[in-house]
Parts: sequence; structure tokens; C-alpha cells
Amino acid sequence: MNIIDVKNITKHYSLGTQTVEALRGISFGIEQGEFIAIMGPSGSGKSTLMNIIGCLDSPTDGTYHLNNQEVSTLEGDELAGIRNKEIGFVFQNFHLLARNSALDNVMLPLKYAGVDKVDQIKRGKDALSQVGLESRMDHQPSELSGGQQQRVAIARALVNNPSILFADEPTGNLDSQTGHDVMQLFHNLHQQGQTIILITHENEVAAEAQRTIFIKDGLIESDTRKEKL
Amino acid sequence: MVLQESISTAVDSIRANLLRSLLTTIAIVIGTASVIAMVGIGSSAQRAIDDSISNLSARTLSVYPSRGRGSQKISAAPLSISDADALLKDKEINWRVSPEIRGSKSLKYKNESISISVIGARESYLSIQGYEIDQGTFFTQRDDLARKRVAIIGSSVGTELKTSSKALVGQDIDLGGVTFKIIGVTKSEGSSGWSNPDEQIYIPLLTASDRVFGRDRVDSIRVEVPNTYTPEEAMISIERVLRREHDIGPGEENNFRINDWSQFTDLQKQATAIFSALLIGIAGISLMVGGIGVMNIMLVSVTERTREIGLRKALGATQQAILLQFIIEAVTLCIIGGIIGVIFGSSLYFLVTVFQDWVFTIPFSAILGSVMFSACVGLFFGIWPARKAAQLEPAVALRYE
Ligand SMILES: Nc1ncnc2c1ncn2[C@@H]1O[C@H](COP(=O)(O)OP(=O)(O)O)[C@@H](O)[C@H]1O
Ligand SMILES: [Mg+2]
Repeated sequence: MNIIDVKNITKHYSLGTQTVEALRGISFGIEQGEFIAIMGPSGSGKSTLMNIIGCLDSPTDGTYHLNNQEVSTLEGDELAGIRNKEIGFVFQNFHLLARNSALDNVMLPLKYAGVDKVDQIKRGKDALSQVGLESRMDHQPSELSGGQQQRVAIARALVNNPSILFADEPTGNLDSQTGHDVMQLFHNLHQQGQTIILITHENEVAAEAQRTIFIKDGLIESDTRKEKL
Repeated sequence: MVLQESISTAVDSIRANLLRSLLTTIAIVIGTASVIAMVGIGSSAQRAIDDSISNLSARTLSVYPSRGRGSQKISAAPLSISDADALLKDKEINWRVSPEIRGSKSLKYKNESISISVIGARESYLSIQGYEIDQGTFFTQRDDLARKRVAIIGSSVGTELKTSSKALVGQDIDLGGVTFKIIGVTKSEGSSGWSNPDEQIYIPLLTASDRVFGRDRVDSIRVEVPNTYTPEEAMISIERVLRREHDIGPGEENNFRINDWSQFTDLQKQATAIFSALLIGIAGISLMVGGIGVMNIMLVSVTERTREIGLRKALGATQQAILLQFIIEAVTLCIIGGIIGVIFGSSLYFLVTVFQDWVFTIPFSAILGSVMFSACVGLFFGIWPARKAAQLEPAVALRYE
């Protein structure tokens, strides 16, 4: 059974008199536990696609079922609730709150979920230990390396046990060694059964995934699965 | 939970931009300080005025000759001792009447000579003025009728004569060429603005009239009326008696004037009211300006933190949570301004009470009220920026550079 089902998704942006067709009819399904890389040249519509299946934005047209629930027609706070419970985001530039400790950053989704303080702290610490940073929970982002910051961001994405983990160019701001470490982390999470959608333009990174969807000009150009070893 | 998170975020963000935040609140500070100072000063002034009115068991009016346009007019319509006697004989109101002859004379004692303000008055003068005798006695009605050459001096007259006032009791002095015996000293009263009772000498009215000044004309007649009469009633009675004494025909104007000293407190009340209105104006304008300042800084803050807002929304923050966060930030900013304002306003008010010798009382409700009002200013002017933040599209906000 598919955890994600998108059919004929389009997204148009209107810029004055001009309309940009960022997505021109995308359909695919994703099963529970898959590790997928979405690839494509810059401007091909990868981020737009992630925004829509990440419930950050609504499609212009098409249907989108997440866990069998139609979400393309939802808006505002309904989408906020789904993002909070079902989706974890990891961004290229980490997006940590500068004045908060690592633990506070990780606990943020739980605060918006209305989890009580004791649970927040417990689950926040668990998530940090999952990425190997429990000892740094009191550190502020400025006191952490880029790789560590991204791991804090991953802990934050995982803390509310999301159905899907989205990562938009997660290694884009990291050197190759720390990038490799972060990819190893994704690999481990996948081994534990986490569904992961990774956006990248690096073949090396995409090679970690089981399946690669290649996008060009707002359309799927190819959708290939690696042979199971 | 969301509320708690919002408050701590608000405090964090104010702390992060502390100087900017404090500068933003200056107008709020001024506004609240004005409110507190106004309430404090207003209530103290009111209390002082009320006290001074209730302290008077009676109301004192003063009658003066009309200030004519030429010198003849003054002499044409003088107030005389007989006018005072006529007032005294009139029994419609049981008032007390105190005619006064005033002038300046030289006072000599041993080798010292000073110029002194002489007051010729009746024996009732002392109690009408509320003065007290420190040593010796005041003159009596008998002394007055006998035109005795006895005098009472103010407490600092002795010092001017290189001795002490008390030491002068029983001594003879020379007042304008007439020898007087000092029979008493008044207690120190302090200067009352235009005259200093401590530096005056008091002699019987008829002595002053016959022996010192050689005139029947008095400078003023004080009339002390019981509080059961209104000043208007008292004035009408005084007018009736004096118009008859002065033979003023119907339709002719008075050739004397009557001052009601309670007008003074009315003036004082008016001044306080004007002062309060001024402060209310300052408070209103400052709070308005402060509110706009807060709105401006909140708009800046929303713009600066667009990506943060996008992130919070991506993590599941509802519109309400974002709205709350920014409103709380604006309200917190204003409450901080309000509290600083209360501190400044109370200090200002405290200084005023020290100088005016007033009682310092700020009602707690005024403090609470003005801080609450600043909070409302924050709420009112914070809503628009907060709505802007709440309505940001997460995908757009995250892309914001
Ligand atoms: N908010 C937007 N407004 C207008 N055009 C947009 C917006 N977001 C994306 N686009 C356009 O849509 C296209 C796809 O963008 P994007 O999804 O960011 O590509 P990618 O992530 O693959 O580089 C680009 O042409 C981009 O300019
Ligand atoms: Mg992109």
C-alpha cells in the first residue's frame, strides 16, 4: 500500500502576466519504508514538488493522498497539523533557531504538537542520541559544526515520529566528509524502516537511495529502482 | 504550552535586540510616566487643597478701598475705622471684623535702627490670623481704647536689632518717634509670600491711628464669616452695610472691593486641572507615538524573521501560534515600557511631593491600570504585524532571502 500517491500534480506560479509552469503533471506512488532520491537540474521543479508533497504548499491541480487522506484540498492550519505529525523536514541550510539550544530546537515540533514538557525533553533527548549528539544538547547552533547542526536538524525532523522524512539538498552546505556522515545517518534511518525522500543534484548522493525519480522541466523523465542485492 | 513557548520566544527576541527594543519603548515610557505623575500629583494636590479648606473653620474675606484712577479717588472713598465699627454693629451675620492700618516706620532700640512694617489692629487680630503668642501677651481691647503705647513684635525682629525678640519683652523702643513698650512676641510663622509676620510689629488700632499714623483711614478690613454662610451671602451683607455707610445711591458702583480668599483655592484647583489636562495630552500622544513605534519595530521584526516564521510553520506552527507569538512580543515590549514608565513617573511624583511637602500616595489601581493600558497599546498596534506574520505562506517564507 502506498503511503504517498500523487496523480497529475501541476503547479503554476503567476508572475504578473506570465505564468511559470513549475510542475506540469506529475504522478507517482511511494511505499512505506522506501528511500527515494529526486534528481534533476536546477529549476526543474524539485523543490516545488517537495513543497507540495511536504504539505508546505498546495498544487494548482491534481490529487495527492497521504496515508490515504486527500490533502491537496486542505489549507492553512489543517496542513500545519499534517506537517507537524506526518512530516519531518531537513533543509540545505539547516534552519536552526540561533538563540536556542540544540535540545530546544529539537523540541520545537513537540511544542507545536502540544506535548507536555517532560515528554518533550525526554523525546528531544532520545532524538538527539539517535543522531549521536546527546552530549551537545545544551549547545547553541553557533557552537556546533555544520555537520553537527545538520544532525540536530535531522533529530528535529525525527522527533515527532513522522511518516516521511524530507531532505532538500541536505549535504549541499557540507564538505564531502561530513556530507558522507550525514548520508550514513540517512542510511541507518532507512535500515530502521524510515521512509525518506531526498532531493539532490549529486549522483553520488542519489546513489545511496533505492529508487531515483528524475525530473526535468516539471515532468518525470525517469523513475528507476536499484536491483535488490 | 504554546503560550509558554510564545512568551519565552518573545522575551528571547526582545533580549536579542535589547537596545532597539528599549529605544522603541521610550514613548511608551513617557506616556505611562505622565499618567502616573498626573494621577499622583493630581490626587496629592487635591488632597492638599481639600485639607487647607477643611482646616478653615471660617472663611475670611477682605475689604479694600477701590483703586481709583486718580489719587483723589482713593481719598474720596477711604475705608475708615467707623466702617469697621458699622460692620461690627450689624448683626445679620455673626462675623468677626478686623480693621488694619499698615505702614512702614523706623524702629530704634539702643543704637540700632531698622525700618519695620507696622500693623495697627484690634485685639481680635491675633486669633483671626491664627497667630500665637510665644512670650508675654497680646494687647487687650482696653489697651486699644486707651491708645496705649504697647507693641508685640514678630519672632525675628529682635535679631535685626542685634538682640533676641524674647529679650526685648518689657523693653522700651522708639517707633517713628513714639516710645512703645514691648509686651509680647509672636511664635514664628514663616513668610506667607508677600509679607513676613515674623518681621512685623503689632500695635493697637487706635494707637496707630491717633499716635503713629495720624489717620482714620484703614488699609483693609478683614471679615471672618462662619462656614455656614456662602461667600456670596457674606459679600452681599458687607456690601449692604458699606454702601449705606458710604451713602452710595442705587445704580452707583461700589467704592470698595471685596476679596474672597477661597478664590485662591479655586485658582489652585484650576491650575491643577490644567496641569492634569496637559499631562493627559502628553500621555495620550506619547502612547499613540509609542504604539506606532512598536508597530514599526514589529513589522521590521516580522520581515527579519520571515525564514524563522517559515520554519516554524514547516514544523507545524498554526497561524494562531504565530499570531500569538508576535502579539505577545509586542505586548511584552509595551509592558516593559509601561513598568519603566511607572518607575519614572513615581520618581517624578515623589520629587514633587518632597518639594511641595505633600503626601505621596499612588493608588495601586493607577499602576495596574497604566501598565494594562500599555499592554492594550501593544495589543492594538501589534495585531497588524502579527497577522502579517501569521498569514505568510510557509513555502514562500522559507525561500525568503
Ligand atoms: N514562489 C515561486 N514563484 C514563482 N516562481 C517560482 C516559485 N517557486 C519556484 N518557482 C519557479 O518554478 C521553477 C521550479 O523551481 P524549483 O522547484 O525551486 O526548482 P529546483 O528546486 O528543481 O531548482 C523555477 O523556474 C522557479 O523559478
Ligand atoms: Mg531547489
